[in-house]
Amino acid sequence: MAGTGTAHLRAPGDVLLRVEDLVVEFPAGRSGLKVHAVSNISLDVKEGETLGLVGESGCGKSTTGKAIMQLPPPKSGQVLFEGRDMAKLSGEEQRRTRTAMKMIFQDPISSLNPRRKVEDIIAEGLRIWKVGSAPEQQTKIDDMMLAVGLDPVLQRGRRPHQFSGGQCQRISIARAVITEPKLIICDEPVSALDVSVQAQILNLLEEMKTRYGLTLIFIAHDLAVVKNVSDRVVVMYLGKICEVGSPDVIYQQPAHPYTRVLLDAIPVPDPSVRPEARAKVIGEIPSPVAPPSGCRFRTRCPKAQARCADEEPKIQEIQPGQFVACHFPLAAGETLPTRNGSSPLA
Amino acid sequence: MSRRKRGAAPGTDRFADTPLDGSLLEVDEVKTQFKTPRGLVHAVDGVSFNLERGKTIGIVGESGCGKSVLSRSIMGLLPRNAVRQGSVTFEGREIGKATGNAMRRYWGTQMAMVFQDPMTSLNPVMRVGNQIMESLRFHFDVTKDYAEETALALLTSVGIPEAERRLREYPHQLSGGMRQRVMIAIALACGPKLLFADEPTTALDVTVQAQILDLLQQQQRERFMAMVLVTHDLGVVAGRTDDIAVMYAGRVVERAPTRSLFENTRHPYTEALLKSIPKLGQPSHSKLDAIAGRPPDLVSPPPGCKFAARCPYAQAKCITDEPKLVDAEIPGHAFRCFFPVGSQAGVEALARNLAAGETATGLPVRMEGEAVLTGITV
Ligand SMILES: Nc1ncnc2c1ncn2[C@@H]1O[C@H](COP(=O)(O)OP(=O)(O)OP(=O)(O)O)[C@@H](O)[C@H]1O
Ligand SMILES: Nc1ncnc2c1ncn2[C@@H]1O[C@H](COP(=O)(O)OP(=O)(O)O)[C@@H](O)[C@H]1O
Ligand code: SF4
Ligand code: SF4
Ligand SMILES: [Mg+2]
Ligand SMILES: [Mg+2]
Repeated sequence: MAGTGTAHLRAPGDVLLRVEDLVVEFPAGRSGLKVHAVSNISLDVKEGETLGLVGESGCGKSTTGKAIMQLPPPKSGQVLFEGRDMAKLSGEEQRRTRTAMKMIFQDPISSLNPRRKVEDIIAEGLRIWKVGSAPEQQTKIDDMMLAVGLDPVLQRGRRPHQFSGGQCQRISIARAVITEPKLIICDEPVSALDVSVQAQILNLLEEMKTRYGLTLIFIAHDLAVVKNVSDRVVVMYLGKICEVGSPDVIYQQPAHPYTRVLLDAIPVPDPSVRPEARAKVIGEIPSPVAPPSGCRFRTRCPKAQARCADEEPKIQEIQPGQFVACHFPLAAGETLPTRNGSSPLA
Repeated sequence: MSRRKRGAAPGTDRFADTPLDGSLLEVDEVKTQFKTPRGLVHAVDGVSFNLERGKTIGIVGESGCGKSVLSRSIMGLLPRNAVRQGSVTFEGREIGKATGNAMRRYWGTQMAMVFQDPMTSLNPVMRVGNQIMESLRFHFDVTKDYAEETALALLTSVGIPEAERRLREYPHQLSGGMRQRVMIAIALACGPKLLFADEPTTALDVTVQAQILDLLQQQQRERFMAMVLVTHDLGVVAGRTDDIAVMYAGRVVERAPTRSLFENTRHPYTEALLKSIPKLGQPSHSKLDAIAGRPPDLVSPPPGCKFAARCPYAQAKCITDEPKLVDAEIPGHAFRCFFPVGSQAGVEALARNLAAGETATGLPVRMEGEAVLTGITV
């Protein structure tokens, strides 16, 4: 099957989170068919690490993030947090892990309750879990607002619509960090923002990570953004993993054709780089209701061969720390055809 | 093949009586204000530029800098509460005073627009094919068959597979990228000489963005159409425009041939926008040079330089005096700043502020590695 395997996983004792063979399916309308949103994804995150999850729209990034949070629980596969199986937690353990894992969403404005004051939004976790006395909570809220660059005195009584997109994302970060979680899953936290505000939020996330000793899963479709914040990158395509490795290696020597395409799609602020001379894929991501056989990328891959339709590539280590699921990985310096090169199998 | 009844064939023989080069659009001191309960919003404040036939200009700036209002002011697509001043000349004719009714002749055949969010600009209850045909039949009075054939050809040319089936679908049945392709097909339907693309890819992910930008560029070249490409990301316009105008608080703060803008950046705002983009070549965890704060409220913009509150170079003079647009050495390059990037005055201004730990407006500023960081938290 395409892009399955666990060669890239590290020793269970070394990681905070370990996800094995995660499968998430949804009913496709009333057709009786299934949306194969996430198919046998495995990944792990060490404490203090930022894991970047990158891929184009619809490839299953958010679904993976939500399945880790058990929102809803996956159809199959294991999610181990601090060695404990999330699906088998007792009531009290569930409560504790729920505060230890938080999620931040893409659309900063609509993910905040419009009727509530900012301080109440930020305090939600403290109040649900009854952390500290009321004055203690207030001090925490004010400190957290300051830490994310908001003014507690002026702004604590305001409502979300009175803030810009970037400020709403600051509120989301404060709300997530205030209960002192261990892991935060950031689902495209900067995709809806201007480049200038994006830089502010990326810097803020890095700072909060150091200050509060956080572990992050950072989801985005822009590999340049993911590279900036991550220690390890997982490239996804249509519910499968393509490539795993350190961001600098993946940038310098992408081994999966799809990684190359993602790199070449990033707009670079340099007029001497001609966009028409960069690698492209044709068409759109296929429907996850009937994903291609073998390697799921084969319908758009310029390197596809007959074998790619018959046999799913397994994740294998091609050099220390770099893992790829492809029958014909790119050699160092190998480029792809530029002009919308179509797949021989398309 | 069916015949059209009358009117020029969409986008074909329109060059018969018009020159192939020279100025197409001249925008002179355009000012647009909105009357609101909070007061007058000075959304566009004295913008001028020229665009030649077949050329592309990029308009760049953060959200709220007046990019969309500028495009709409040129097209005459403003709401009732707007007041527009200045002159807009299209093919030598003044259209700056024209009303909606008079402008209707221009929309589609002369100039067309592609918006950021295709879902809100497409009609959700009308089939895609009919939306393309509607515009064709309004402008050219062609037969239904002819319009349908043209719609099919257009959808194919914008890279929509199975165009025949797609013609009969509704917008919600299409992906975001497909919808934007349909929007482009509609915009191109009547063969406009000028296309406004207002953040056409901001809602899309990077792979689809690259496809859509390629498509726009290809169509623009094939049709010898002029294009105004609006974006907040300098990376999007770098390899795809002849000139770039950077807007801040309703004004053009720097305007230059594309190469010169990147190679000889003069305005601190342009420099800041450039530096805030994460670069693939930088090692991971590099601190980004974020621009602190946000653009000023356009109801009561500050006196002096509008960028002063966020500018790492700002001096006392910037708070009181507004810099004028002055020419740089390179022809066509102009900027609005007293202490330009790369100049002796600029270098000294930045060094003074770094030594003091803050700028004349009180903005904290410090170096961290290579990065000049402004603001308090990050
Ligand atoms: N509740 C649902 N019911 C049916 N299909 C779903 C559901 N949620 C997600 N999907 C489908 O699962 C696939 C993966 O979706 P997901 O939202 O995880 O993608 P993503 O990588 O996060 O994309 P984006 O970049 O657009 O956020 C898509 O095909 C999506 O349409
Ligand atoms: N119809 C309107 N009424 C009042 N203010 C408006 C209207 N349209 C835009 N504005 C204001 O004009 C300014 C410029 O807006 P816009 O051109 O949309 O910015 P950009 O496209 O650069 O993001 C903003 O301050 C915006 O709030
Ligand atoms: S070469 Fe084959 S296995 Fe590798 S990405 Fe392309 S289609 Fe998949
Ligand atoms: S140096 Fe002064 S004039 Fe130039 S951009 Fe900064 S604040 Fe404006
Ligand atoms: Mg998502
Ligand atoms: Mg706009």
